[in-house]
Amino acid sequence: MRPLVLAVALTLPFASHAQDRGPILTDTVTAHILPGYSRLSEATGLLTETAQRDCDPGSPDLRAAYNTAFDNWISVSHLRFGPSEVDDRAFALAFWPDTKGFTPKALSSMIAAKDTAVESPAEFSETSIAGRGFFALELMLFEPAFATQGDMPYRCALVRAITADIDRNASAIGSDWDTYAKALTQPGETSPYRSGDEALQELYKALMTGLEFTGDTRLGRPLGTFDRPRPKRAEARRSARSLRHVELSLIALRDLAARLSADHPDIADDLDRAFGKAIDRAQSLDDPSLSGVADPQARFRIEALQQSINDIRAIASTELGPTLGISAGFNSLDGD
Amino acid sequence: MTRFLAAASALTLSIASAAVAADAPSKADVLNVYANIAEAKYDDSLIAAKSLQAAVNALIVEPSDATLNAARAAWVAARVPYQQTEVYRFGNAIVDDWEGKVNAWPLDEGLIDYVDASYGGPTDENELAALNVIANPSFELSGQAIDASKITPKLLSDTLHEADGIEANVATGYHAIEFLLWGQDLNGHGTGAGNRPWTDYAQGDDCTGGHCDRRAQYLSAATELLVSDLEWMAAQWAEGGDARAALNADETAGVAAILTGMGSLSYGEQAGERMRLGLMLNDPEEEHDCFSDNTHNSHYYDGLGVQNVYLGSYTRIDGTPVSGASLSDLVIASDPSLDAEMKVKLANTMQALGRLKSTAEAGFAYDQMLERGNKGGEQLIMGGVNGLVDQTKTIERIVITLKLDQINFEGSDSLDNPDAVFQ
Repeated sequence: MRPLVLAVALTLPFASHAQDRGPILTDTVTAHILPGYSRLSEATGLLTETAQRDCDPGSPDLRAAYNTAFDNWISVSHLRFGPSEVDDRAFALAFWPDTKGFTPKALSSMIAAKDTAVESPAEFSETSIAGRGFFALELMLFEPAFATQGDMPYRCALVRAITADIDRNASAIGSDWDTYAKALTQPGETSPYRSGDEALQELYKALMTGLEFTGDTRLGRPLGTFDRPRPKRAEARRSARSLRHVELSLIALRDLAARLSADHPDIADDLDRAFGKAIDRAQSLDDPSLSGVADPQARFRIEALQQSINDIRAIASTELGPTLGISAGFNSLDGD
Repeated sequence: MTRFLAAASALTLSIASAAVAADAPSKADVLNVYANIAEAKYDDSLIAAKSLQAAVNALIVEPSDATLNAARAAWVAARVPYQQTEVYRFGNAIVDDWEGKVNAWPLDEGLIDYVDASYGGPTDENELAALNVIANPSFELSGQAIDASKITPKLLSDTLHEADGIEANVATGYHAIEFLLWGQDLNGHGTGAGNRPWTDYAQGDDCTGGHCDRRAQYLSAATELLVSDLEWMAAQWAEGGDARAALNADETAGVAAILTGMGSLSYGEQAGERMRLGLMLNDPEEEHDCFSDNTHNSHYYDGLGVQNVYLGSYTRIDGTPVSGASLSDLVIASDPSLDAEMKVKLANTMQALGRLKSTAEAGFAYDQMLERGNKGGEQLIMGGVNGLVDQTKTIERIVITLKLDQINFEGSDSLDNPDAVFQ
């Protein structure tokens, strides 16, 4: 054991000498992060405008705007650090999984009390994260039980408040990135990142946490066990987006992985092939809400998809991390 | 240029640490003290659980306001050593696999006993959320008829706990006992904790809440289980126990396990799941000890456990000190300024958690702090969260400085792959 540790200690500094972190950091920020957030805030702006024009839950325009904005959120949802964590923005954009049914509870109590927080963006932003964001909006647009609660004018005001709050948070993350980009690409005394290694670790951690969340939570929760599958736990199943979230997140993570492995073509190839396989498997499934978890035949293919995500995780943690000299550190999924 | 410097200083450092090796403790010594502290903490938890059991027996034999309050006080005291063990959880698979029996949370308490109408019934997530086993001597579980005519430790641990594979079906441990002693806290964000009347344990005509005999059976069985579960864990950490053996199997992995426990508890579990989430939900029952309103203490002693493991120094509940070679000493040998940074951050966290505790003890309960728009409460809770997040950053730096980062490839995947740290 000891000679091995010594070898690592001696080789690591030289390995990092060979790799300047700067180009990867700059490339990831300018080509992966900033465009992602810019697409998101554009889509949430459109969503808010659409809801102002037409707040009918069945409105095709509103539903289309919801879908586009949600797509763009999922494509950046693995970037859980810095601006997304200020003022609980990311939590307020997407509170899921909701293991104790907080979202329906929060919405019902808002409606029952005719809570006037819907009239003021500042007040609305003080309310529970469970009653805000894409998952609250999904219930308002797609859950029949919420089509009849309270009266129409209040439901409409609530839908508009939720969309405006989504836009506010998405735009705030986007504009904070204008300055945070510098903190990530120029680590040092004035940055939360002391060194290029720490900045790179943040991005590597985003990749690993994103894969873990998609494999274990987005797929793992509805899969449950063979004897006890849990189709009702699929993410955004009411708007039939569960599988789409898996696919979109894999596409975004593939892009991130390619940038992080840019200096190591062999590893980049391995990762890209593994992502390709997983994305093919996702695209060949015809099961938007993952209800197939309860059907032995269909379930087998969903498990295969999950396995292919685990394969990507294995490549990233055994090849990419050690080669970069970076470890995954601690993430928010640690713990229960 | 910087890279050359980094390479050069890394080389100097390895030479320097070789030179001061005499001052640095051996990993074996550090692990031994870490295990000694674990043994002392679990043993203290066991002693306190036995006091709780005695108080519960007194309540059952002679139900009264006084015996109920004495049992509640014994429960609060029992939490002090136990919460300090939580830092052992995520780094040690043997603890993580077991801890759900004793400290599972949150729970759908309607599984156990009567609840208020506002609680609702079965949910999408949990069909058994309102089962009420105390009122039902027989019921169906996943299509099987269950005979619960006698509530035994075995019924709780083998049948009811995590029934239907759902974690919120918590039938055993501290929080099930807490619910049986306090009952639901129906005060929302207002003052007051759960207010179960002692007559819930009165036998005969004085009985309130129904089925007082079965409630007493349940409380007695759950407390008996807590004692036997803690007995088992204390034995694992004793000389020759399995927890010690696993820890010592690979010294470097053992040191990584200490840091994994510290970081995972600080960040994902305590700062995230237990503190920040409740604040963001503004839900008065989204607190760790929601029936007793003892959450401030749970958070405080969790934080203290992280600190005393780093410093290698624990004071037992009878005042006996247990201390020796520490992780701190190990860090000093490679980077004294990093050790100073860690100590300052741990102290900052304890100050923030201390503020939370003293304010709660002065009457501003944790569930009041969670109220929407309550700025003072938010500041108190976020003070703790920020301290914990900040100390995690330094724990990560220590992992790198001690060159442990490539040992545990799964990073902190302590739950997904608890064995990773032992590979």
